[in-house]
Amino acid sequence: MTSPVIETKDLTKDHFSHILRRRFRAVDGLTLTVERNETYGLLGLNGAGKTTTLKLLLGLLRPTSGSASVLGYPAGDQRALGRLGFLPENPYFYSYLTGGEFLDFSAEVFGLSAPERKERAQGLLKMVSMTEAANVQLWKYSKGMLQRLGIAQALINDPEVIFLDEPMSGLDPIGRRDVRLIMLKLKEQGKTVFFNSHLLPDVNEVCDRVGVLHRGKLVADERVATISGGGSYRDLEEYFLETVSRAEAERQAAAVSK
Amino acid sequence: MNRVLPVIAIARNTFRETVRDRVLYAFVVFAFLLTLAGILLGSISVGQDLRILEDLGLFTISLIGGIIGIFVGTSLVYKEVERRTIYLIVTKPISRWQFVLGKYIGLASCLLVVSAAMGAFLFAVVFLLNPDHVISPLMFESLALIYLELLFVVAVATFFSTFATPVMSVVFTLSVWFIGHFGQSLRELGRLSHSPSVAKFFDGLYWLMPDLARMAQIRGDLMYGRQPPPELLVFLCCYVLAYILLLLSMATVVTERREFA
Repeated sequence: MTSPVIETKDLTKDHFSHILRRRFRAVDGLTLTVERNETYGLLGLNGAGKTTTLKLLLGLLRPTSGSASVLGYPAGDQRALGRLGFLPENPYFYSYLTGGEFLDFSAEVFGLSAPERKERAQGLLKMVSMTEAANVQLWKYSKGMLQRLGIAQALINDPEVIFLDEPMSGLDPIGRRDVRLIMLKLKEQGKTVFFNSHLLPDVNEVCDRVGVLHRGKLVADERVATISGGGSYRDLEEYFLETVSRAEAERQAAAVSK
Repeated sequence: MNRVLPVIAIARNTFRETVRDRVLYAFVVFAFLLTLAGILLGSISVGQDLRILEDLGLFTISLIGGIIGIFVGTSLVYKEVERRTIYLIVTKPISRWQFVLGKYIGLASCLLVVSAAMGAFLFAVVFLLNPDHVISPLMFESLALIYLELLFVVAVATFFSTFATPVMSVVFTLSVWFIGHFGQSLRELGRLSHSPSVAKFFDGLYWLMPDLARMAQIRGDLMYGRQPPPELLVFLCCYVLAYILLLLSMATVVTERREFA
């Protein structure tokens, strides 16, 4: 059996408020694994800890306790970073660069040669339907265009694992469909995709497995096929809402008993 | 993987961003106007018109280069964090030292181009006023020393930009620059005070901060046609480069320790 591509063990992250240093637990004892070629969707309400989890997996944040690894390396390790791609939520770019220049820059940091960079950039711009905007400076891009460019830069190194933070946010229905198709294509190519989203119909369509995060804790982890084929739930939305309601009720009951 | 390529990529990116910022051109135009003002000042002097033009021109390059270096440098890393573009950098196989060095080289290259453009403008104005006037090679040495000081200023600004807001970084950088130029005076001021701790404090500052006043003094000598010994210039270069290396290393350590929430 091969080792998981993404693995966290009892991963915990505390944030502290600036002045009073009050502690807030953003991720609480998270243990999960994502296997190769799996598309994993992390669901949760706002503030559930989804983005924090992603940042911990990428090494942008350091865990308070527990561990996280990607491709067998500790989170943030350069050897893993060279083999993964990342799209942040509402990505920000260098506004004075053109789309083409930004992709060239993204490819250059991976050490690709000039012809390789050009070929990759052109291919990806075509894939995200942005060829015509390649020479336009980024401050002129719409939110949807930035999101598409963000996906292109996340794939510039032909990564094995792709982390996407709210990849459909800010996109119109056509944009969302295009991203879904890209994600399905990535799956066909054998990539592992880990993403956060609020848009449950899209998650339902592309994910193999979902995890539900509530107040930093993983309260459910289930295969999408099981949810939709089990007959207990009408759809993923019902599953999600019921899971979150149950988790919240249990949390409140535990708080009362304390 | 080649460790230099990411540095070059970040440097080129920073250079592009900086030269495409229109504010830079406003400063350069201002520098040209200030240089031209040297013609007016020179015309009211007796037989020293070109001399005054050259003096003012070099002062302008130093001033405008310093302003650009401080204002761009102090937001160099801070802006990346604030605008969250850093997410796209540190999640790629780029070490923090590569990031800091790339940002620094990008701005330093931009300042090199700007200083060269301002210098070329000054020499062109001098040539137009008097085609027979031979520009002394010492002027170029003086220009190189100005650039060396700018490199130091950018390193200070880069260091502060890793943890302080741009406003605070400007204050800190100007303070370092001020102490560097007037460290000796501050030291003497401290000795005049009755408190030994004040004297020790200013003594400490004097030894900690680079002696920029010495550099300004050598520039003055060059302007008066006095060539300093070559070993002094080599020492000065090594001295400033050591400070730059120290500052960039500290900037790397700070960036290394940071989390990006």
